[in-house]
Amino acid sequence: MPRRLYIDVHVLQTVPPANLNRDDNGNPKEADFGGSRRSRVSSQAWKRATRMHFAERQDKEDLGTRTKRIAGELTKKLISRAKADGNAMEVEAAQRIAGALLEPMGIAAGRKAGDTAYLLFFGRRQLDTIVDLVAADILELAALDDDGLKKAVEGRGAQDKLRQGHPADVALFGRMVADIPALNVDAATQVAHAISTHAAELEFDYYTAVDDENAADETGAGMIGTIGFNSATLYRYATVGLHQLLENLTTHDKAVDAVNLFVDSFARSMPTGYGNSFAHRTRPSLVAVVVRADQPVNLVSAFEKPVPVTDGIVAESARRLAGEYTTATRQWGDTPVHVAVSHAFADGTDEARDLAAAFGPNISFPDLLTGLKSSLADRVGDLS
Amino acid sequence: MTTYHPTSGGEPVLVLRLAGVLQSWGDRSAFNRRETRPEPTKSGVIGLLAAAAGLPREADLTDLLGLRLGIRVDQAGTLLRDYHTVSDYRGRPLPQTGVSAKGVQKLTSPAKDTHVTHRFYLQDAVFLAAISGPRPLIEGLADAVLRPAFPLALGRRSCVPSQPIALGGLREGTLLDVLATEPWQAGEAHRDAYWRTAKRTNTRADHVDLSATIDDDNGDDVAHDVPLSFAPRERRFTSRRIRHTWLSVPTGFPAPDDATAAPAHDPFALLGW
Repeated sequence: MPRRLYIDVHVLQTVPPANLNRDDNGNPKEADFGGSRRSRVSSQAWKRATRMHFAERQDKEDLGTRTKRIAGELTKKLISRAKADGNAMEVEAAQRIAGALLEPMGIAAGRKAGDTAYLLFFGRRQLDTIVDLVAADILELAALDDDGLKKAVEGRGAQDKLRQGHPADVALFGRMVADIPALNVDAATQVAHAISTHAAELEFDYYTAVDDENAADETGAGMIGTIGFNSATLYRYATVGLHQLLENLTTHDKAVDAVNLFVDSFARSMPTGYGNSFAHRTRPSLVAVVVRADQPVNLVSAFEKPVPVTDGIVAESARRLAGEYTTATRQWGDTPVHVAVSHAFADGTDEARDLAAAFGPNISFPDLLTGLKSSLADRVGDLS
Repeated sequence: MTTYHPTSGGEPVLVLRLAGVLQSWGDRSAFNRRETRPEPTKSGVIGLLAAAAGLPREADLTDLLGLRLGIRVDQAGTLLRDYHTVSDYRGRPLPQTGVSAKGVQKLTSPAKDTHVTHRFYLQDAVFLAAISGPRPLIEGLADAVLRPAFPLALGRRSCVPSQPIALGGLREGTLLDVLATEPWQAGEAHRDAYWRTAKRTNTRADHVDLSATIDDDNGDDVAHDVPLSFAPRERRFTSRRIRHTWLSVPTGFPAPDDATAAPAHDPFALLGW
């Protein structure tokens, strides 16, 4: 049976009056669930925030670069590798080899030498692995004519190199190249739309702005308007298929690091919509990670019946989440391979007790990441 | 190929509960308006099964296309229109479809910074999908749904299914029998509303009438949603014959106790009908 490992991330996060993600009327997005209206933040909006947080912290060598100059970059790398091996290589010869390597992929050349016709995401390390393919006999290749060169590099699998060892962000979030489907990468993550655990009403902030330079004879507002907003405790869910990420990234260490940075970025990031008007930047009240060998499990059914808005929404949401997790695990008789939780509820409260019973003791978020990393590092070897 | 009739059984049936906050079952949407059908499409369900089994997009779908599908609408949900914008995070204008003399994709002029798309979803919906086929295939798929190779989605990747998807074990009997006997899967709010309405109008609440759509070679309608290939450049669809029907399905609510329940109003009783 093929081995699989899914990392489920469950987050409860309270957002004060805000408008994170708006529709074409300028109001916060919503959806019906369990027969009541909920606040919603689209998966795309939170993925973008996650991705930007991720990109700021990822080692640049492992990030995708979006460039037209893949052939030019490859040419440069071929020359410098030849030089390192004590061989002199003409620019023109290197260009021919780069061209021959890229040609079978259908990456059409742009008019300017070394350019492709469009921007292409690729990993810097991917180019090094392509250079490896030809480094040993680079001078012999340079001496061949066009047809001979084409035949000589054909079977060396440059195309496969661009299909593996993707930059971490491409491996996680996917890539689509409309006219070269062979270079598409299916994302290893799945992110759900965030929804409020309770019924949420859309409200309007009516505002007026005074014209400071206005003469005394006109006393009205210089401008009036409304901004739609709501406040919500959101349930956010994402899952990463480590086995799929491994296929996209090839090395164990990189895959485990990418999962960790993803969980960190998913937990800490927030869409910036109307950020200056509402200053809504909060952190999660709860982050739980569950590593499963069978299937991803979304716990949103805990909130199908909306949490009553009268008595402590976050605490009740946490109790519901713990209950749903416990019930689901017991009912299906499956034990996740690793579970950890980090939350902001005080010791001794009902919710802290329920969470401890379901997900284990409360630990700090950095400890949660460290624990996740070592748990994945122990198991990633079994996946391939 | 022998003609298939939904009342001819003999093959095992896999039953899936398709529920989540959002679902989206497009059939021929393209470009910037992504619509959804009011119920799961065959391509959507086959796509979900193919993802569970770990088939790549280019995989040969022949085996899966032989599967027979029945969909029961347990909770119809409502249509949600999602306004979605696309822009370049570096703040540059979006490219247009044309290329310049240099073969480089040109930027829009006048500069267009935001591309608007409309995506339609079903919100708060619950469906039951019954899938029948040869035993080894169905058994393999039943296992795959519990241990999926790729995360499952309800028509679109961000539409994460809520648990449980598989209702445990395989059923025997025809698609119609199975769909008519599986308990109603609607959510609590929906079930409560049904119970209250039944009490108020003094009608029985132990069964509910649900609409269903089922593969039937003699069906009187056609759905153009059978995928021939999911390969990005060869996405093709063909059609299937279907039949719409209504099923009376057990709700789990008690039947009226004959001794205590008020007699139902029956004007035809006077006429001896």
